[in-house]
Amino acid sequence: MLLVIPTFLGITLLVFTLTRLVPGGPIERMMTEMQLAQEGVPALQQGPERGGVLNEAQLASLKAYYGFDQPIFEAYLNWIGNVLRLDLGVSTRYNESVWTIIAERLPVSLYYGITTLILTYLICIPLGIAKALKHGQRFDHTSSALVFIGYAVPGYIVGIALLTAFASELEWFPLGGFISERYDEFTPIEKVKDVLWHSILPLISYMLGSFAVMTFMMKNSLMDQLAQDYVRTALAKGLSFKDAVWKHAVRNSLIPLATHFGNNISVILSGSFLIETVFNINGFGLLGYESLLERDYPVVMGILVISSLLFLIGNILSDLCVAAVDPRVRFE
Amino acid sequence: MMRLDPITRDRLSRFRGISRGWWSAVILVALILFSLVAELFVNSRALIVHYQGQYFFPTYGAMIPGDTFGESYQYETNYKVLERRFAEEDAGNWVLMPLIPFDPYEINVYAGEFAPHPPSMEREHYLGTDIAGRDVAARLIYGFRIAIWFSLALLATTYVIGIVLGCLMGYRGGWFDLGIQRLIEIWSNVPFLYIIMIVASIVTPDFGMLVFLMVLFGWMGMTWYMRTATYKEVSRDYVMAAKALGASDWRIITQHILPNTISVIVTFIPFSVAGGITALTALDYLGFGLPPPTPSWGELLKQGTDRLDAPWVVTSVVSGLVLILVMVTFVGEAIREAFDPRRLTRYE
Repeated sequence: MLLVIPTFLGITLLVFTLTRLVPGGPIERMMTEMQLAQEGVPALQQGPERGGVLNEAQLASLKAYYGFDQPIFEAYLNWIGNVLRLDLGVSTRYNESVWTIIAERLPVSLYYGITTLILTYLICIPLGIAKALKHGQRFDHTSSALVFIGYAVPGYIVGIALLTAFASELEWFPLGGFISERYDEFTPIEKVKDVLWHSILPLISYMLGSFAVMTFMMKNSLMDQLAQDYVRTALAKGLSFKDAVWKHAVRNSLIPLATHFGNNISVILSGSFLIETVFNINGFGLLGYESLLERDYPVVMGILVISSLLFLIGNILSDLCVAAVDPRVRFE
Repeated sequence: MMRLDPITRDRLSRFRGISRGWWSAVILVALILFSLVAELFVNSRALIVHYQGQYFFPTYGAMIPGDTFGESYQYETNYKVLERRFAEEDAGNWVLMPLIPFDPYEINVYAGEFAPHPPSMEREHYLGTDIAGRDVAARLIYGFRIAIWFSLALLATTYVIGIVLGCLMGYRGGWFDLGIQRLIEIWSNVPFLYIIMIVASIVTPDFGMLVFLMVLFGWMGMTWYMRTATYKEVSRDYVMAAKALGASDWRIITQHILPNTISVIVTFIPFSVAGGITALTALDYLGFGLPPPTPSWGELLKQGTDRLDAPWVVTSVVSGLVLILVMVTFVGEAIREAFDPRRLTRYE
């Protein structure tokens, strides 16, 4: 458990150092933007004193403002100190507090993350059980074929396929986004419909990946349990097959799924930025990707803090879940 | 002949028994071999030119200037034009073009039309052209060649590193093990895109560089697996016995531990291949992969999503990807089943 702290520090220090090494930081980006803006201005209006975009003193004060004048380690200590005081800094791109930006994207990501999580468990556990009990039969084979495609093909590619077929060709669904432009004018019922209408295709793409893994995990683990001696003993003692499965085998076969729960928690927020790119959803994943591209380091670091914390919380939650389904595990 | 022990032979025959996996494997191997000689099937150069009683084989080797065949230019012969001229002249000269007579880099222009051109049998663009006017089928096939060999190179390197390092970690244990464990934990949290961006801003990433970068961020999985597997084996009695008999570390690792841990690795290979292909595709899709105009599936995907009015682009590349990935997964599942020592128990 205590190893979590050095790991967290190591991750953040490494990425922090990297942000300093990447050429084309926020200041350079701003300067090019200014240059581009000035190209429209006739050359005569530019006085000789404005030869460069910024003079040395302005550059230095900018650097000081973003903390680029300090050595890496000192700057890192400064930053981690702020993080401990729950201050993630100010985005260089939007000039807004990182918290505000993250909070803006949070509802969309949470909506998709939680819906995906619930739907996945709701469908995978019964489907996995059914497949295990009917192993080798027609139902198992036909459902396997579908699940296989989801397993083999990444979600965003399925997303592209769905988008082409159902949004572009058939025009059943919108081409992306989270809500319609006229969302504010809608009645509450229309609002719910609108969100659902926008989210069906992305939800399918989100679910597909974990869906296949979870279904197979459930199926395989139940089949393992059914082959165990204790099930045979239970049957030999005269328990009905139904009871042996539902009262003994299923409970034990849930253990691997419980350990996997932690993974799913951290996926809730980070999502898949590829899927978000495809469907143009302004979520957490896309924010991270955009801020990487735009060299918006405070946001990058802020997201890193949140995602690594979630990862750690996820691990702890997994342990708790395992303890809940497996009476052999106890926390000392 | 290679000597196979009975267990391996048993597994092989079980693998052959799973027809869906076996046939996928056969088709995949055929496709990979085919990709090696793709020039013979997909090329703007002719296969055979028969000119004034002489035979030319332009596919491989240096380019043949146009004036060799009585054209009026010094640069490389345009065989498609030549084919038409020979047919018109009807003087016993002929050109045999490959099945798909296009180069993946060749930009095809048709008067009065803008690319992308839809599929057309007559023009021999069986899958149409992309937004630059390049043949989709040609780019798909050459893109597959790059993706699959990229994936295989990645696989070989990460597995070698993983097996060596993981074995050492599990065998040596102690501080060495603990240190690398922390390193792996930290390393797996570094945003991979960052490193790609740093490198892309300094040099244009080529094939070797991309493999290197992917290895840099892909060695952890295999290492972790090998560490755990070795760790388990080391505590077994037979290792203790070998030690007591005075076997050297090298002998224990290569003769005793590796044979017991490595067989399971085979079951991971197909999934790693699929992973390599999707990783390269995703990078190319985002524009951080191989530089244009390299034919790539990710680039075609990007074009497809940007231009939804040209559905043949996205349809071809998505079908290609789904087909290949599903086949690879079939192989993977079949191998896993063949290697599974537990026989299934069924009630009812």
